[in-house]
Amino acid sequence: MPVDDNGFMKVDTRQLDTRVRVVTPENIAFQYRIAGPFQRLPAYLIDLGIRVGVCLISSIGLTMIFGLAGLESVGQGLWLLLFFVLAWFYGCLFETFWNGQTPGKRLMRIRVLSIEGQAINASQATLRNILRVVDALPGFYLLGLISAAMNDRFQRLGDLACGTMVVSEEPHWLRDVAKVKEPDVLRLADRIPASFQPNRSLARALAAYVGRRAKFTPSRRIQIARYLGVPLREQLGLAQRTNLDYLLCALYNRAFVTDEAPESDEPETSATVTAQVMDGVNPFAPVVAREPAEVKLDEGI
Amino acid sequence: MKVSDLLEARRENWQALEQLCSRLENRGRRQLDAPMVSEFASLYRSACADLALADAYQLPQETVHYLHQLVGRAHNQLYRSRLFNMRTWARQLLVDVPRRLFRDKALRLAFFIFWGVFLLSGSLSYVRSDFAQRVVGNEMLTQIEGMYAQPAGRDNPAFCCDRMGFYIAHNAGIGLRCFAMGLLFGVGGLLATIQNAAILGGVFGHMATTTQSDNFFRFVTAHGPYELTAVVMAAGAGMRLGFSLLDTKGQTRIASLRRAGAEAMPTMGAFLVLFSLAAMIEAFISPSSLPYAVKAGVAVFSIATLVFYFVFLGYPRDAGTAGRTAPPDTVGHLPSSPADARPEREMSQESTMPEGRRAVG
Repeated sequence: MPVDDNGFMKVDTRQLDTRVRVVTPENIAFQYRIAGPFQRLPAYLIDLGIRVGVCLISSIGLTMIFGLAGLESVGQGLWLLLFFVLAWFYGCLFETFWNGQTPGKRLMRIRVLSIEGQAINASQATLRNILRVVDALPGFYLLGLISAAMNDRFQRLGDLACGTMVVSEEPHWLRDVAKVKEPDVLRLADRIPASFQPNRSLARALAAYVGRRAKFTPSRRIQIARYLGVPLREQLGLAQRTNLDYLLCALYNRAFVTDEAPESDEPETSATVTAQVMDGVNPFAPVVAREPAEVKLDEGI
Repeated sequence: MKVSDLLEARRENWQALEQLCSRLENRGRRQLDAPMVSEFASLYRSACADLALADAYQLPQETVHYLHQLVGRAHNQLYRSRLFNMRTWARQLLVDVPRRLFRDKALRLAFFIFWGVFLLSGSLSYVRSDFAQRVVGNEMLTQIEGMYAQPAGRDNPAFCCDRMGFYIAHNAGIGLRCFAMGLLFGVGGLLATIQNAAILGGVFGHMATTTQSDNFFRFVTAHGPYELTAVVMAAGAGMRLGFSLLDTKGQTRIASLRRAGAEAMPTMGAFLVLFSLAAMIEAFISPSSLPYAVKAGVAVFSIATLVFYFVFLGYPRDAGTAGRTAPPDTVGHLPSSPADARPEREMSQESTMPEGRRAVG
């Protein structure tokens, strides 16, 4: 077993899932999810359909227009040029001018980026699409699939040669902080000492629990809550029959949700107890931003 | 301040950024006026800071996912793909490519293999009539013989456009395929080159024995130089890709491939230009009834431009150009000691960063 300098077991921290980290020039790291073959295949098929469709329609259109003018040869020449451009440069042109997307990719919400997370440039877009020929060998993109299976970023050979990857831009919606408003929970919250404030790791565990608890049955909730709930019940000196699920929810409310109670004339000292999360002031907040809400007094105790 | 308050305070900013992103995605960056662009930048920085402090704020996992996606989306709008820059492309095509090709061993190899196989196949076909039939196929030979039964005489340019389209699509397609196949460790490119050369040589050798030989050779004179050079260049550029996987010059194979890929791109542009020129000549000059002297003159002129391009522009000049274009041999070498390595890597990161990027507006 490999051991580090301090005698701890070394943990392999390499990427296990399909997320990659990108560090921006602003020195912020954010994550992308890599698009797998089953997102890229439909995008490819959509693009193929568009190409075939445009070829057919333009063939009819050009033949008619130039045929009427008596210049069939010009029409045919233009069509062959169009065919050539569609066959070899469809992806290059779209990915260059549409910021790494083709119509198919846009519909499937995926985008080509360089592996540093920057937008791709024209020569990367061109090379990765020309080398598609090799990836398609010996049929059904077998070589490309093998290559994608052998690296962390699902890169086919064309991607490897120009340092690009395809990421998924799944939409996430901003939701409110989950609030537990069951009356039992609110009642239990009153019995928790106001001085108790969950620390950071406890708060994270509580958030993870509350985020998922809706999917479990009540007995299963208790079973899961037991591991954290029993020691907390002892620590807070609550009765044996306290519902552990409600206890965790009450603590979660304490950590994340502002009490919606009327302002009371308690001394300000209680505010400092609950305000220890962070004052939440963002040094980069733009001028248009609303002033951060004043720290509310907690009516507790 | 608790998380629910924080989210309430930030919601407006994030949603404003989201709206600006949608506008940029749907209508393009020219639709935003200056104050909106600066607001976008400021909102983006603010969202970045929120994401960086997500752990300190104890944001729920779902909100963190949302922020990752929001920052990624804004990042993609802020740093957009660079469009074709005519000046850099012109400099690449006229300065860098000829110099690189002048000393490119893969191109020399492609040149010798192509012409070796071409001459071999041509002379064998000339001597033994069944050789061309086996290499090229009877069907194609009779078709070609039929094509040159009549002396050239298509004069009206309006009736030649279909030919031009066909030649570009067909020949450049062959060239691009040959180039891409080179990626398979150069072997694919070698095989494709040998195949192209054998078929072409077979056709030339066979046609020399037939009664149409005069028509045939008069036809191919004008566009031959550009077209055959383009085929060799395509093969050479492909092999350069493939050989970079074998001789990595001390880099990892992937890094070596990426470097070769970046170098091969302008070469690809050059051979596409040659294919297009050849197709135009083949469509409009070769089949016309112009006197043979004119067609031969076109061929001489093409050869002269090729010599100018490869030898005059390509001849290595050390004085004054060392800073602008590093010779390819030194680009790949990694610094020998780690102490040397760090500053160089940092420097190269800094220097490449603004190049691939371009901010909105």
